[in-house]
Amino acid sequence: MMPLSAYLTVSVALFCIGLYGLVQRRSLIAMLIALELMLAAASLNVVALTTLASGAQGTLLLAPVGIGNRSSVGQVVALILIGVAAAEAAIALSLFVAIQRYASTINVEDLSELKG
Amino acid sequence: MTGPTLAALLTQFAPLAACAVVLLGLRARPRAAAAVAITGMAVSFAAAAGLVASVAVPDRPLLAQTVFLPVDAAHALSFGVLLDPLSTVMALVVATVTLAVMIYSTGYMRDDPGYARYYGFLSLFGWAMQGLVLSANLLQTLVFWELVGLASFLLIGFWFERPAPAAAARKAFLMTRVGDVGFLLGVLLLIRALGLATIPDLVAAAAPGGSLSPRLVTVTAALLLMGVIGKSAQGPLFTWLPDAMEGPTPVSALLHSATMVAAGVYLVARLHPFFLAAPAVMHGLLYLALATMLATATMAMVASDIKRVLAYSTISQLGYMLMALAAGSTAAGFFHLTTHAGFKALLFLSAGIFIHHAHTNEMRDINARDPLAQRAGVIGLVAGSAALAGIVPFSGYFSKEAILGALGTAAAPWVVALAYLGAGLTAYYAFRMVFLTLAQARGHADAGAHADGDASGHGGAPGARAMHGTVLVLAALTLVLGYLGPWLEARLAPGEAAHGPFTVGLGPAAALTLVAGGVALAWYEFGRQGAARVGFVERVPALARFFGDNWYLDRLYRATVIRWATALSRAAHWNDEKVVNGATDGLASGTVGGGRLLALIQNGYVQAYLAVVVTLIAVLAAVLDRLGLVR
Repeated sequence: MMPLSAYLTVSVALFCIGLYGLVQRRSLIAMLIALELMLAAASLNVVALTTLASGAQGTLLLAPVGIGNRSSVGQVVALILIGVAAAEAAIALSLFVAIQRYASTINVEDLSELKG
Repeated sequence: MTGPTLAALLTQFAPLAACAVVLLGLRARPRAAAAVAITGMAVSFAAAAGLVASVAVPDRPLLAQTVFLPVDAAHALSFGVLLDPLSTVMALVVATVTLAVMIYSTGYMRDDPGYARYYGFLSLFGWAMQGLVLSANLLQTLVFWELVGLASFLLIGFWFERPAPAAAARKAFLMTRVGDVGFLLGVLLLIRALGLATIPDLVAAAAPGGSLSPRLVTVTAALLLMGVIGKSAQGPLFTWLPDAMEGPTPVSALLHSATMVAAGVYLVARLHPFFLAAPAVMHGLLYLALATMLATATMAMVASDIKRVLAYSTISQLGYMLMALAAGSTAAGFFHLTTHAGFKALLFLSAGIFIHHAHTNEMRDINARDPLAQRAGVIGLVAGSAALAGIVPFSGYFSKEAILGALGTAAAPWVVALAYLGAGLTAYYAFRMVFLTLAQARGHADAGAHADGDASGHGGAPGARAMHGTVLVLAALTLVLGYLGPWLEARLAPGEAAHGPFTVGLGPAAALTLVAGGVALAWYEFGRQGAARVGFVERVPALARFFGDNWYLDRLYRATVIRWATALSRAAHWNDEKVVNGATDGLASGTVGGGRLLALIQNGYVQAYLAVVVTLIAVLAAVLDRLGLVR
C-alpha cells in the first residue's frame, strides 16, 4: 500500500530528469530519450490520478483492469500513450536519419540556421 | 469659331508651336531653330495685324471663352480671348517688337553656343506675352503673368554659366515674386467673390452699384497693384531691372519694351475702370510712380554703363505711364506704352550694335572705339534718344504731351510741375548718353583711327545686315508712331477731350523749353569741343555715389530683408537637417538597433527556446497559484 505522493514523487523525478536531459544534451537521440522519460512521467501521473479519482481517498490501490472499474480508464490511456510514444519515436528517428544525411550531423548546436 | 477668334488663337499658339519644335527637336540645328522661331513669330505678327484690322479698326470688341475644367456651378478653369482695341493693338506691338528682336538676334547671337535654346526661349516669351495680352479672365491672366516671369528669368540668365547673369536672373525672379504674392492674393479674392469672372464682368462688378463692395475693390486693387509694381519695376521693387542688363542685349530690348515690364502697365490699362473704382489706391500709385520716375531719372544721370542708363530710363518712363493711368487716362498711358515700346527697343538694339562692335558696355570705352563707324547704330541711338527726350517730330513727344496733358487736368499742380521737371531730366540723361557715346573727344583721336580699320572689317561681318536693317526700320517707326495718338484716344476713351498731335499751348511750350534746357546742358557738359565730360551731379561725389548705387536701396535690402531671409532660411535649413532629418534618422536607426538587439535572443538553439518555454510555464503556474486561480 503506497501513498499517492510516492507515485507523484517518482513522476516528478522522472519528469525533471527528462527535462534536464532534454535541455542539456546536444545530441538529438539523447534528447529523444529524455523526452521519452518525460512522457513516461506523464503516463504515470495519469494512472495515479485516475485511480485516485475513481475512489480510494488518500491511498492508491492498483486494481486489476476490468469493465466497470473506472480506474481502468487511466490504465488504458497509459497504454495508448505508450503506443503514441513508440510511434513518435519511429517518426523522430526517421527524421534524425534524414537530418544526418542532409547536414552530416545531429548535433543541435550545429543545426541552428534561422539566426536573426 | 469666328475669324477673329481663330486669328487670336493663331497669334498665341504660333510662337508656342515654334517654341516646342525648337526646344524639343532642333537643339542641335541652330539655323533651322532660328528659321522656325522667326516663322512662328511672323505668323503671330500677321495674325495680330489681322486682329487689329478686323477688331480695332471697326471697333468691334469680342469675347469668346470656353470652359476647360469645370469645378462647380460658379467656378471653373476656362480659357478665352478678349478682343478689343486695347488688346489687339498691344498684341501687334508685342509681335512687332519680338519679331524685330528675333531678326536682329540672327546677327547679334550668331555663333553663340546656345543659339537654338535662345530662340526657343524667345518664342516662349512671345507666347506668354500674347497669352497675357489676349486673356479673357483673371485666372488665365495669372497663368500667363507667371509664364512671362519664367521666360524673363530664363532669358536674363541665358548665360547662366557666368555668375553675374545667374544672380541677376535670380534677383529678377525673386523680386517680381514679392509683388506676385499680392497679385495672387488679389486674384484669389476676386475669384472667391465673383467666381469665374471675365474681365468685362469684373469691371462691371467694380462699378458703383456693382456686386463688389468698395472696400473689397480697394483691397484687391491694392493687392493686384503689388504685382504690377513688381513686374513693372516701380517703387521699392525696381532694383531688379538694372541688374537684368546681364542678359543678352536683344533680350533687354524685348524685356524693356513690349513684354516683361510692359505686362504690369498693360494690366493696369486692361483693368483700368476696376482700378479707377479704388481712388485711394490710384492716388497712392500716382505718388509712387512720380517718386520712381524722378528717382530713377537721377540714377540715369550718373550711370556709366549704356545699358544701365537705358534701364533706368525704362523705369522712369514706366513711371510716366502709370502716372497717366493713375490720373485716369487709359489712352495717354497706353499711347506712351506703344511709343515707348518702339523707341526703347530701338535704343537697346542700337546700343547692341555698339556693344557688339566694342565688346564693352561702358559709354566712354565705346566712344574710344569710334562708334561713328556704325552708321545704323548712330541713327538709331539719336532717333531713339530724341524720342525718349520728347523732341518734337519723334513719337515720344506726342505720347509724353498726352500724359502731361492728362496730368494737368487730373493731378495736383505740384505733381504736374514735378512731371515737367522729369521731362527735362529725361532730355538731359538721354543726350548725356548720346554725347558720351558719340562725341569724339580730342584725346581719343588715335584710338579712333585704330578702331576705324577694325570697323571696316567688322561692318562686313555676317549678320550685320540683319542688325542694321532692324534698327533702321525701328528708327523709321519712331517718326510714325506718334500720329497714332488721336486714333488710340478715339478707340480707348471716346468720352475724353482729344489732344491733337500738335496742340499749341502753355503745356507743350513749357515741356519743350525744359527739354531744350536739358539737351543744352548735356551738350555744354558732354558734347561741345573741349567739354569736361563730367556731369554736374558727378562733381559732388557723395551725390554721385548715392545716385549710382540705386539710392542705396540694394544695400538697404541686403542689410535688412535679405539678411533676415538668409538667417531665416539658415534656421530652417538647420531645423530640416537636425530636427526633421534627425528625427527620421533616429527613428530608423533606433528600429534597426532594436531589431539587432532583439535578434540576439533568436540564437537558433532549440534548447534555449525550450528552457524559456518551461521557465515561463513555471512562472505562469506560480502566478496563477499565487492568485488562487487554481485549486
